[in-house]
Amino acid sequence: MKKYLLLPFLLVVFGAAGVLNSCKKDADSQPTVGTVSLELANMVGTQPLALDGTAYSTASGETFTVSTLKYYISNITFAKADGSTYAAPGEYHLIDASKSASTNFTVSKVPTGDYTGVSFVVGVDSTTTKGDPLALSGDLNPANAMYWAWATGHIFLKLEGTVTSASPNKALVCHIGGYRQPYSALVTAAPSFKGSTLQVRSGTTPKIRLSADVLKIFDGPTRFTLSSFPTTMMPSAASVQVAQNYAAGMFAVAGVQAN
Amino acid sequence: MRATHLLRTLRQPLAHWRLAALLALGGVVVASASCSKVASLELAVPGTEQPANFPAMVYNLAKNPPSAAAFELGKALFYDKRLSHDGTVSCGSCHQVAAAFAQPGFRFSPGVGGRPGARNAPALQNLRWRRSFMADGGVLGLELQALAPLTDAHEMSMPLADALARLNADTNYQQHFAAVYGPGKIDTPQFLRALAQFTASLTSANSRYDKYVRHEAGGEFTAQEVSGLAVFKAKCGGCHATDLFTDESFRNNGLDRTFARDSGRAHITSWPTDRGRFRVPSLRNVAATGPYMHDGRFATLAQVLAHYNHGVQPSATLDPLLRQPDGQLGITLTAQEQAGLLTFLNTLTDQAFLTDNRLGPPH
Ligand code: HEC
Ligand code: HEC
Repeated sequence: MKKYLLLPFLLVVFGAAGVLNSCKKDADSQPTVGTVSLELANMVGTQPLALDGTAYSTASGETFTVSTLKYYISNITFAKADGSTYAAPGEYHLIDASKSASTNFTVSKVPTGDYTGVSFVVGVDSTTTKGDPLALSGDLNPANAMYWAWATGHIFLKLEGTVTSASPNKALVCHIGGYRQPYSALVTAAPSFKGSTLQVRSGTTPKIRLSADVLKIFDGPTRFTLSSFPTTMMPSAASVQVAQNYAAGMFAVAGVQAN
Repeated sequence: MRATHLLRTLRQPLAHWRLAALLALGGVVVASASCSKVASLELAVPGTEQPANFPAMVYNLAKNPPSAAAFELGKALFYDKRLSHDGTVSCGSCHQVAAAFAQPGFRFSPGVGGRPGARNAPALQNLRWRRSFMADGGVLGLELQALAPLTDAHEMSMPLADALARLNADTNYQQHFAAVYGPGKIDTPQFLRALAQFTASLTSANSRYDKYVRHEAGGEFTAQEVSGLAVFKAKCGGCHATDLFTDESFRNNGLDRTFARDSGRAHITSWPTDRGRFRVPSLRNVAATGPYMHDGRFATLAQVLAHYNHGVQPSATLDPLLRQPDGQLGITLTAQEQAGLLTFLNTLTDQAFLTDNRLGPPH
């Protein structure tokens, strides 16, 4: 019996050696990499967002409170001045205003260099969201209540609260998702570095500080009043407008730090 | 499961060769081959075979290979009322084995608090041959499908995180899950995988019709049934195609002129051209799965035939197969043809499936 085992065994050994060998070669030719840290500050205008019933007002004087703010940031891409980009694979981050740990995360293995911009999808790409459900773990886990079971896919952004200037008070329910045309809400935000550079070096962890302004969800290419803001719980023309609003103006770079 | 498979393999001649080859290649080919081997060896799990008269299976067995222990776990979950918010409803409340897992007598099955849902509970059968689920095709995988009734306020009204917390707090489930998936917290993948072990096993392929087409004993058809089958093929088979009796498309079979209550496929796609289109359902066990259509509007099969014969309503999305060249709507069926169709539809009842104790509630 033993000799029957020998041939496959040799295959294993040589196979493994081959793999190791090619790995080594790759490592030699690979550029060095560094880690980038991202930090999000959820705001309402100039005030930090609190989920404790604090009332905020819009530009037109309507008031509201927020009980839930959650959104996905994924497909993070760093751009250089020469137009070349690095798209970080496998990054899916659920930002939950009620969990401070979720507002900080790092992206590793970013090739070293000087970057002048960042962009990211606010949501989850369609391939991932409708892909193998058994791979949906961590931030993508449907147990995070950011998932539409009836239409297979993640909710990209969830804002809930109360419009307190409406009488009687009106529930603020805004669940944005959907990756199918005509009402795809998959949008990309590209907040400007405003001239700063992100210097990625091995051994340091530069940080991009972002702010996310809730008011911009209602106010952008389309201006909604809170009294007429639709309860959105499925893809619709309004949910696409909301997504375009938050893509356009919700995220701003508050600072780029070297370390 | 894998371990038992390897043990069995070891006992066979040349087993070392195979084991070694398996270890050496370890690739997709061998992995999938070994998984189908697992399926056919594991006789304790119902419905793992590919019936000869069915189209090719859609479901990737290798991703969730059937095992007796996982099947039993899935069955326990399917019949456990504690998975509903108030402990009154299980999957099995709305999906009953004697009705091919539809719910007889209810147009809209009541969920927690007696709240009726939005659609009629369909039969659950041959789900491994399906690409999408629900009457509007909104759900893209069998594993994911369980999330819809679990979390729907009208059905079990149970947030997934709460369901997982209940399972993790139960020592019985802890042990059962650990035995199947190894130690650790019960999380979404294990939970959904286990439930799908049960739903995937619901294969119905032994009706008299099946035996007739497979030329097996017990597959004798009367002259009326033979002519009913011929009428069916000619007049219904354009949509209710293959031996699964569905082409899996979404079509408007003329129930309504407007679709304010339920827009069907358009609920998912938002396209006006999809308004009023619903999945073409399988007709297996159809005599046992009434009431009929997405909203359970017809109590009997005779009413369904009457609908196709003279009840079809015009609308922009009405299926072309239901518009005759002379402008008349529907499918003309003589009284004799209707009688033949009814006897034929009754041959689709798979008595062994409807009375399979392995699929019923655990004692
Ligand atoms: C309150 C009744 C109710 C309960 C409880 C319920 N279901 Fe259902 N089920 C339905 C209805 C109604 C539909 C059809 C929904 C639709 O088409 O939109 C359905 C559809 C399905 C389908 C898709 C069938 C098809 O042909 O597409 C599967 C699979 C299923 N249910 C499994 C389950 C499982 C598993 C559970 C438990 C976790 C469960 N159901 C609990 C009523 C229920
Ligand atoms: C144009 C396509 C089409 C044709 C032709 C057609 N059907 Fe259907 N059938 C459907 C669709 C779509 C549904 C589901 C509608 C719904 O759920 O509201 C359906 C539903 C049914 C149902 C109800 C099944 C259930 O479980 O609720 C029966 C029974 C049925 N058809 C029988 C027939 C018969 C018999 C014929 C031929 C006389 C026929 N159909 C011809 C598309 C078709």
